[in-house]
Amino acid sequence: MATAELLRPEPSAADARARREEVRAFIEDEARLLDDRDFTPWLALFDEDCRYWVPVHPEQRSPADGVSHFHDDKQILMARTHRLLNPRAFGAEPSPRTAHVVSGVRIERDVVGADGEGELVVTSSQIMLEYRNRDGFENDLRMFGGRVTHTLRDRGGRFTIAEKRVDLINAEAPFNAMLAPL
Amino acid sequence: MATMLEERIGGIGPADLVRDHEVHRSVYSDPAVFRLEMRRIFGRAWIYLAHDSEVPNAGDYVVRHIGTQAVIVTRDKDGAVKVIFNRCTHRGATLCAFERGQAPGGHMCPYHGWLFAADGTLKSISHKQNYEEVLDPADWAVTRVPRVEAYRGFIFGCLDREAAPLLDFLGHMSTTIDDLVDRSPTGEVLCSPYVLKHYYRGNWKMTFENLNDTIHPGFAHAASVVSAKHVAEEVGGPEHLKPTLGMMMANGKPISFFQQLDMVTAPGGHSYIGGHMGADYTPDTQNAYHAALVARHGPEKAAKVLGLDRHLMLLYPSSTWHARYQTVRIVRPVKPDLTEVIGYTFSFPGAPEETRINAIEYCTGANSAASPVISDDLELYERMIHGNAWGDQEWIPMSRGVREDRETTNEWTRQPSTSEGYIRNQFRAWAAYMGRS
Repeated sequence: MATAELLRPEPSAADARARREEVRAFIEDEARLLDDRDFTPWLALFDEDCRYWVPVHPEQRSPADGVSHFHDDKQILMARTHRLLNPRAFGAEPSPRTAHVVSGVRIERDVVGADGEGELVVTSSQIMLEYRNRDGFENDLRMFGGRVTHTLRDRGGRFTIAEKRVDLINAEAPFNAMLAPL
Repeated sequence: MATMLEERIGGIGPADLVRDHEVHRSVYSDPAVFRLEMRRIFGRAWIYLAHDSEVPNAGDYVVRHIGTQAVIVTRDKDGAVKVIFNRCTHRGATLCAFERGQAPGGHMCPYHGWLFAADGTLKSISHKQNYEEVLDPADWAVTRVPRVEAYRGFIFGCLDREAAPLLDFLGHMSTTIDDLVDRSPTGEVLCSPYVLKHYYRGNWKMTFENLNDTIHPGFAHAASVVSAKHVAEEVGGPEHLKPTLGMMMANGKPISFFQQLDMVTAPGGHSYIGGHMGADYTPDTQNAYHAALVARHGPEKAAKVLGLDRHLMLLYPSSTWHARYQTVRIVRPVKPDLTEVIGYTFSFPGAPEETRINAIEYCTGANSAASPVISDDLELYERMIHGNAWGDQEWIPMSRGVREDRETTNEWTRQPSTSEGYIRNQFRAWAAYMGRS
């Protein structure tokens, strides 16, 4: 948002609840699309100039600071999700199944620019269980978790994702193949 | 429980697990082989530890590994780099819990407060009177890594007091480190604190055998090529693809292309292949970068530096280097079937910002466990461990391209990049290290 920002007028308690409910539903629905492997509508949630970012350190301020686990624009997200559905992607054979648990959705910032376009920063705690049927033992089930920060654009009742940042609690750890977007 | 190696030990040594064009599968999984590798290979070779810029000031330290042993790399008060084991001599607790930090006063064990200097000297013992005439602190220094040498700012350690100097170990491969440093317009090279680590349940040698393999990408990474092509169609042609997707697409180059590329192998198990990434800077950056290098090196050498296009130099047994993309990886064996790979990126003060961003993007694509390319490799390493655990086939062939050597000098052999000559070369070094008691 280039122009001056205006805070929305202090909402009534009922309006604040309704706003929070609307945002929470969006965050939960986004995670559900991933679990359903419904990647076309999932990608459609992201702006053309979006960023999907999983830093390697909690103190990383920008992807330009250094390497990242994921630092995706829309093209890379497209390729990544296309690959997940490709039966020849050995790294994804068999493809992972995931279950996201979304909790503690909180609106950190909710502003509207002079152009009338709104911008929200929303944080949530998320856990993703991931299962790949490989040798049938405990290594097949993994857990990822941390704080997710969504920067959303409010396009008059419809949200789009400008940035999704996932701060894993073990960001600095070595990882085995990470296939499913978190 | 007797392992395969121990069953064989009646007259047969570890070097007999390697034939000219075949290797015994136990080298990838046998715990006895692994223990011997830690002593005879990682206990004898020069191991890349850290870059000068990671420990710029007195007291700065990083923790690294020589084989399975953790070492502390510290800069002492006089500016010298000291490398000691990360282990208190009292009860054996590790001294440093973090990968990097500052310990200007020395390393204090958190258990009973024994305090060690950067060079391992035991400076003070708590409750000293209990040790009077019993224990002489001079006898209880932390073991120092006996050989520490640096080449152009890259610090290596070696546990073998008798080993030949680092320069002899590097041999022809020092030219790749030159390539990296010469690409800096100021000669200065800085290591980023942000690193990428991936691991796999497989043997450390698998990374070395995979990285210079130019046949596997067309198969193992085929899905990445398909997906990159799909995106190219969606965005109106491959010319609109971002560099990361260009990298994915590069895996689809025909085998005839890789056949004409050279692979160079050298004594010690080292190798590199000819580059194929090209110079993909924007024209403005290319010009600015070229001008900066001309200012440092003169036009002739600057053209040579920018023109050198080597892909992945493997410095056996512990690091891999990509000068063009300012990246060094450390391959760390943890167990016979557990390996960690740590990717470091370097930046050049005075170079255009785009060169640093390119290096970050390359390193992310080449080292993240989330990289579409790496995740294929990790899957295949683990499949090889599973497949080699049973069945009656004990010997694994490594004979591809055996008849195709192109040229041999005292320093190196040149062959097509499609050859498995680099694997044979690694196992020649392996057998030489392992066969020496």
